[in-house]
Amino acid sequence: MNANNVYTPSEALIEEVITLSRNVNLYTVKTKEEIKWLPGQFFMVSVFGFGEAPISVTSSAREPLKFCIKKVGHVTGAIHGLRAGDTIGIRGPYGNAFPLDVARGRDVVIIAGGLGIAPLRPLIHEFMENGKDYARVFLLSGSKTPADVIYSEECALWEKRGIRVTLTVDCPDDSWDVCTGLVTAHLDKVEADFQNAASYICGPEVMIEAAMKAVSARGIPEERIITTLEAHMKCGVGKCGHCYMGPKYICTDGPVFSYKELRRLAERFGKGHGPQDDPMWGY
Amino acid sequence: MKKNMPVPIKTEAVKEWVLDKNHLSYWLRQLRKDFELVAPLRERNDIVLKRIDRIHEIALDCPASIPSPKEFLFPQFEPMLTKGTDGISDLRDGSKRVIFGVRSCDVSAVNLLDKFYLSGIADPYYESRRKNTLFISLVCNVPDGTCFCAGLGTGPYLKTGYDIQLYDLGDRYLLQAGSKDAERLVGRHRFLMRKPSKTDHEDQYEAQASSKAMFAERISLEGARQMITDGKVADDFWQDVAERCFECGGCVYECPLCTCFSVIDRKYNAGPADEQVERSRLWDACMFKGFTGMAGGALPAEKRILRTKRWFYHKLIYYPETLGAFGCTGCGRCTITCPGKIDMASVVHRMGNEYSKG
Repeated sequence: MNANNVYTPSEALIEEVITLSRNVNLYTVKTKEEIKWLPGQFFMVSVFGFGEAPISVTSSAREPLKFCIKKVGHVTGAIHGLRAGDTIGIRGPYGNAFPLDVARGRDVVIIAGGLGIAPLRPLIHEFMENGKDYARVFLLSGSKTPADVIYSEECALWEKRGIRVTLTVDCPDDSWDVCTGLVTAHLDKVEADFQNAASYICGPEVMIEAAMKAVSARGIPEERIITTLEAHMKCGVGKCGHCYMGPKYICTDGPVFSYKELRRLAERFGKGHGPQDDPMWGY
Repeated sequence: MKKNMPVPIKTEAVKEWVLDKNHLSYWLRQLRKDFELVAPLRERNDIVLKRIDRIHEIALDCPASIPSPKEFLFPQFEPMLTKGTDGISDLRDGSKRVIFGVRSCDVSAVNLLDKFYLSGIADPYYESRRKNTLFISLVCNVPDGTCFCAGLGTGPYLKTGYDIQLYDLGDRYLLQAGSKDAERLVGRHRFLMRKPSKTDHEDQYEAQASSKAMFAERISLEGARQMITDGKVADDFWQDVAERCFECGGCVYECPLCTCFSVIDRKYNAGPADEQVERSRLWDACMFKGFTGMAGGALPAEKRILRTKRWFYHKLIYYPETLGAFGCTGCGRCTITCPGKIDMASVVHRMGNEYSKG
């Protein structure tokens, strides 16, 4: 292995695989060298013979490296075929991290849609562990069906440690006795001081857009509304060009952006000018 | 020197020599002993840049638009690494290469590619090839009808930023060495050359002036950039451009400044029970629908207008913003390639006609 080649992955051992929902697994990975990362960063994960995909870290810095992976495509499908004891390749961490200074001393509203909870989890841990630096922390997490809900047991633990959690599903079944509907429909239940709060949002693109608009309408300034985007990526280091968004690359300039940055990009380069077609750019 | 004084930039004096044309092939033959020599040659009706085995085959009389030397720094297909039972091996190419006969526009393009690939997190494959490549460029005495480098300062001759630059002065070349590596290389064969005289410089001046006078048309990329940033260019304009796009990707492949790539893994058996995986990269094009395609099947840039507009914005707006120069050197290759006549020159020209007066 060559240390000065950024494209060479390091081999990592899958220590544990936990099934979180019908198509989401949690992989605990052990690397030879110690790797440090920040909440919001991602790794390029390889399965040799299948390729590489950008995967965000779902564990906090105090935990072992963990990836929460949904089976959606070629590479993630291959990862789902692996078991504990198999090896994968990883390189990273890449990208910027969630800014924490915007939330210091303020209420925090975290909004997750589906697998969007995965990159937000290390952030939730940060707020729990350094609780005195922040005011109240609210978590709104939405999923499609009760079968898609992940981290539900952890949510109970987080609740015990002071996070105000609201879980909701779009399509409930008989077993579901909590909230139903879109996450944005439950914002009224959040008793945060919105004028003086920060928000972290991750999920599908339409949900991100709706949630950013909703918290902005309630008074959170645009620079304190933070989201993390995803895109097709081949390199992770700003060279392959696939994750473009106007003059920015999501891999190196992001993946974390503020609503303010995104709106400014949309204003300058117009609607329908990123990889994000109309929904993302219709602010 | 006082503290905080700006460090003066060393302006290296151009080292010049005159090389008789009769000595060119001897010189190249000597260079070939230490380097792989790449130059344009004719293959059937095409001109290609290839490794030269027979010096006399070099097509020095070819038009300016030879294929881009980008191929030798960022190949169309480049194996990156293999993974076998014994681990990962790095397949970086570090061959020493001299690329002879390329034009000023392409040397300008390489200077900008350097900025892109080597800034931030440097690309190790590009870096390794670039470190070992030296360009001997030829000043264009006769530009093609599609060339528009003169207005951009990227040609037909360069004042800085070249390794070795040759002016064709009829029976001899005026040779300029623009880097330390180039000086060393020329220094080894100084016995073939002489110091330039006043006549040589007069002929050089004449070549510069006559070449510049031959450019058919000036294309103002700066004018286009301003029209776009002033918000004059409506989406209707880009819709018209998009409707003419065949999505062939020709502009991207021919462009010396298009840098995007995709990565693929391929499995093969190196021996019994020894499965190897080779990871390679290959050119990709933002003109293709699948370029931004996500794992779940979503195609963020499915509409053609998003892709064609992106290409022009990248070269006219984002390149100057991020790297300080247009992502176009005026080589005119897209003009030759594009079947829809929506190449850089045509689009900028049309933009000027439609919007410059309003």
